[in-house]
Amino acid sequence: MSIVATGISKRFGDFVALDNVSLEVPTGSLTALLGPSGSGKSTLLRVIAGLEAPDTGEIVISGEDATELAPQKRGVGFVFQHYAAFKHMTVRNNVAFGLTIRKRPKAEIRERVDQLLELVQLQQFGHRYPAQLSGGQRQRMALARALAVEPEVLLLDEPFGALDARVRAELREWLRRLHEEVHVTTVFVTHDQEEAMEVADQIAVMNHGVIEQVGGPRELYEDPQSEFVMSFVGPTTRVGETWVRPHDLEILLAPAGDAAEAMIERVVHLGFEVRVELVRADREKVWAQLTRDQCEELELADGQIVYVRAIQERVFA
Amino acid sequence: MTRFLRRFGLRGIAFTYLGVILLGPLALVFYRTFENGVGDAWDALSTPETVNAFKLTLIITAIAVPLNTIFGIACALAIVRRRFPGKGLVNAFVDLPLALSPVVVGLALFLLYGRDGWFGWLGDHGIQILFSLPAMVIATIFVSLPFVAREVVPTLREIGDEQEQAARTLGASSWQTFWRITLPAIRWAVIYGVILTTARCLGEYGAVAVVSGRLQGETETATLRVEERYESFDLAGAYAISIVLALVAVLVLVAMTVIRPKEEAVQ
Amino acid sequence: MSTLETAARPVRMQSERASTALSLGLVTTYLSLIVALPIAALVFESTNGGWEGFWDVVTSPEAIAALKLTLWTSIAVALINAVLGTVTAWVLVRDSFRGKALVNAIIDLPFALPTIVAGLTLLALYGPQSPVGINVAFTTTSIVLAMLFVTLPFVVRTVQPVLLELDEEMEQAAKSLGATNWQTFRRVVFPNVLPGILSGVALAFAKAVGEFGSLVIITGNLPYQTQVSSVFIFSRIESGDRAGAAAVAVVLLVISFVLLLSIGAIRHYATRHDRD
Repeated sequence: MSIVATGISKRFGDFVALDNVSLEVPTGSLTALLGPSGSGKSTLLRVIAGLEAPDTGEIVISGEDATELAPQKRGVGFVFQHYAAFKHMTVRNNVAFGLTIRKRPKAEIRERVDQLLELVQLQQFGHRYPAQLSGGQRQRMALARALAVEPEVLLLDEPFGALDARVRAELREWLRRLHEEVHVTTVFVTHDQEEAMEVADQIAVMNHGVIEQVGGPRELYEDPQSEFVMSFVGPTTRVGETWVRPHDLEILLAPAGDAAEAMIERVVHLGFEVRVELVRADREKVWAQLTRDQCEELELADGQIVYVRAIQERVFA
Repeated sequence: MTRFLRRFGLRGIAFTYLGVILLGPLALVFYRTFENGVGDAWDALSTPETVNAFKLTLIITAIAVPLNTIFGIACALAIVRRRFPGKGLVNAFVDLPLALSPVVVGLALFLLYGRDGWFGWLGDHGIQILFSLPAMVIATIFVSLPFVAREVVPTLREIGDEQEQAARTLGASSWQTFWRITLPAIRWAVIYGVILTTARCLGEYGAVAVVSGRLQGETETATLRVEERYESFDLAGAYAISIVLALVAVLVLVAMTVIRPKEEAVQ
Repeated sequence: MSTLETAARPVRMQSERASTALSLGLVTTYLSLIVALPIAALVFESTNGGWEGFWDVVTSPEAIAALKLTLWTSIAVALINAVLGTVTAWVLVRDSFRGKALVNAIIDLPFALPTIVAGLTLLALYGPQSPVGINVAFTTTSIVLAMLFVTLPFVVRTVQPVLLELDEEMEQAAKSLGATNWQTFRRVVFPNVLPGILSGVALAFAKAVGEFGSLVIITGNLPYQTQVSSVFIFSRIESGDRAGAAAVAVVLLVISFVLLLSIGAIRHYATRHDRD
């Protein structure tokens, strides 16, 4: 285990940011802390980094008790949402910073910086200043800077949050590939479930200072342990007390067994996907997700009466 | 542990510095003034010459502040919204009073309006400038010139001129745009600048000392009177006037503290 | 284009130009009358005795002594301010303690207090009747003391906004990369705060060089010993030597101008990394 957090609690005045949180991060994995804002995910990350001190609990990094250690001594690399670039230094000097203060020989630093710039594809930007780079380039620089000192653990705080959608998608893929190449234990914080699902091996879903569930993307999607996890990690529609994935909601043209009667309010065509908004006899609104072909086959139209049935459903205590 | 010591150490240095330079001397003067009761201080303050000195200070301030306020706003508008040659020079002249010794200011006016000066002929025609109220007013205007302009310029830059453009397209005249759109937007900057200007006017000494001639009861301001009392070995009198000026300074500080956040909120 | 539109356009532009001309005219007239003309008269008068006359006064022993004294005390004060002003700004921005707002407000006191009153209060505590037995009246120490009083706010107020704006995450990034607190200060905080310190120092230096009111009482104005240039000029005026006064005044004027230009240059340099 690279990181073991046990019983971490943290309050800011009256606000409980973390409530007895425990988490294990396997060595070499890519873990996501996923949750809405205020869920405590950034706080947990900063506690691991040593940028916040927890009220209770302990942090063990690579087998050593790091709870009392200052951030300088923890061997963690940290990447900030807004890059925290040293704006008065060139890209090269930014990346070299960790090595410069450790007084490594100049030749060694130069070589390492060259390596890293190549890794993050910023070779020709070495002598520019951060202000002259785009957001995505700045974040790649920040990553190179954090990796330069060969940290045991890499922590990223909403690293793509400040970037626009396309750059975000590119960098997501890039991060995954980087991780496969470099294999550093990585933990990143995000509120974007698609990002977590796409990039991470293991996801910890957090809400109101508590970890609701930890698992792989598939596990979380198909076997959620709470309403929150189910609705946060994927689309849901509610049928009475049960929760159903919209693509698990079957639409039948004729009554059958336990299928409930419902009227189609609206059929929304979203390209390949079709969303069918229905209102049941008991006035409850649900929606189903069909493929275009399924929809054509059934010849659905607004105002039509149909029968809906869940192929798979979940009930939470 | 070291963190606590470091915090306390820096704090200790800062407090010692402030105490030795600022607070210690001030506290002592407060004490000394009222050492023998309020009566003595009151007597010192109510002599006719002293009362006239305060009056004169107030009159000069009452003339200088409005003039510099209007100038400051006009100047800021010109610098930020208009293009014209020599803007750098205008900027330099507006900032100059901040960097220039008050004695040099006084001397410059002395030379301009003195008997052999370029405007010396005014005296020949019965218009007394030097050693009289006009010179003192001009000197005070000079030294307190920059404050309103310097406070308004960054605010004007920050708010941009889109609102003004919108007003124009809706048919507002230049004056209406200024009065209804621009002025409300800069009002806190103007107020803050006015406070600074007033403080400067009330406290001016050097430039006025050169041009006033220091006729007791006529061309002596409150600050000049402080020195006069000291030179006449009336230390109690000097302290008493100083306390009044210090209390005014405290009021100014309070006003600055209250207004500054409002001004910064716009930026 | 209709005749209505062609008629409307020149009228609007004309009034724009007219109002510009009017406001500019007022502004420049005011500036000329109050600032430019007096300065011109000063420069003119200083050259009254020709270049030689100017030079004679400026290099006279008393003038040189005054100038030397003014410069080294002002430099000392500027340097003290650079360090202690930065420390004070740091404490005000990064530290938290009860009464911080009050301390923050007090910093501006030297702006609000008349210089003559400042001199008097310093004399009370550090003069012949000092209750703590410290008497530095009529010494060069009193010059430094008075200058420190009047220049106190400058560096503090120029450094505070820079510190406030400083991205604390840069410091956290440095720490996460292994930098000690000192290394973080030296390599990350200081380079970004330096322009703020420099412009505060330039302003403090300008104020110190020209300071008059607070020095008049406590220094005793002893020529060659505790007489600074501003007091020298004053004494020349009192004895009717206008050309002499003007000559030294022009020297101070030039110093002021140079400092103003430096402050502008520092500001330009400070924002170089924020421009693309």
